[in-house]
Amino acid sequence: MTVQRFEDAEFGEELPLFEPDLTLANVRKFARAAEMMAPRFTDHEGARKEGLPGALVPGVMSQAILVAMIHRWAPGAEIEKIDTVFRAPVIADEPHKVSGVVTDLDAAARTAEIDLTITNAAGETRVLGTARVKLG
Amino acid sequence: MEIEELKRKFLNLDFDQREFPVRAEAMVDFATAVGETAAHYTDPNHPEFRAVPTFPARFHGRRMLPEDFPRLGGIPLDAGKAVMPKAPIRAGVTLVGRSHLHEIFEKTGRSGRMIFLVARMEVRGPDETLVAIVDSRMVIREKPAKEAGGAPQ
Repeated sequence: MTVQRFEDAEFGEELPLFEPDLTLANVRKFARAAEMMAPRFTDHEGARKEGLPGALVPGVMSQAILVAMIHRWAPGAEIEKIDTVFRAPVIADEPHKVSGVVTDLDAAARTAEIDLTITNAAGETRVLGTARVKLG
Repeated sequence: MEIEELKRKFLNLDFDQREFPVRAEAMVDFATAVGETAAHYTDPNHPEFRAVPTFPARFHGRRMLPEDFPRLGGIPLDAGKAVMPKAPIRAGVTLVGRSHLHEIFEKTGRSGRMIFLVARMEVRGPDETLVAIVDSRMVIREKPAKEAGGAPQ
């Protein structure tokens, strides 16, 4: 169920899991739009030449994926702030899951605080975030 | 260099300015690649078409730090990024990003001193309306003076 109004949100509520499209083709599309066409983001071999395990998903893309998950949960949510820590690389063409949980609700401001994570198939946290969103 | 001296010399002084033209095609590709589905992010013909809230996080200035900022013996590492959207970003405008150091603080552990820097970019529209604030956090692990060459860099 999507959240349409502040009253629909619950403390401790988990946002629906989101599996983003992290195929290299999609990461390239993002990199082109974001003007980040470096080999480390667009080519596994190019990334390996830089000592990386494979092409990286740009941190900016991971951050925007977290926001997209919030919008799937609450389509009208307005992001007041999102803060992210890029703890470890997110590698393209590898499955990752995005999760979130409501950690605070402010009825006066009609805002929710959400903790966000991106984890890889091994369950390792790659990106951490917190967002404050205004709900309708 | 002491933290208080760094603050005195560098905090809140603009060290970079850059223009960012905003194209509808880039806005759409940015939004669809990350999984946004709402028409106001994906359809340039929608009356409320705008960039996704974190779009300005892709804006990079010409410099990460002021030109005369001391190197402190280490390379700045990415410690995170925060975006605070303030107004919708529309297609066809040219935005201006101005950067300054917003915070400087240190933590000292067994491995030595780590200096944390927050470079803040204020992104403004053509009429100087603030559309977003983007904070980029960096951490520098200071090398001991003899390892770093003993001189400011």
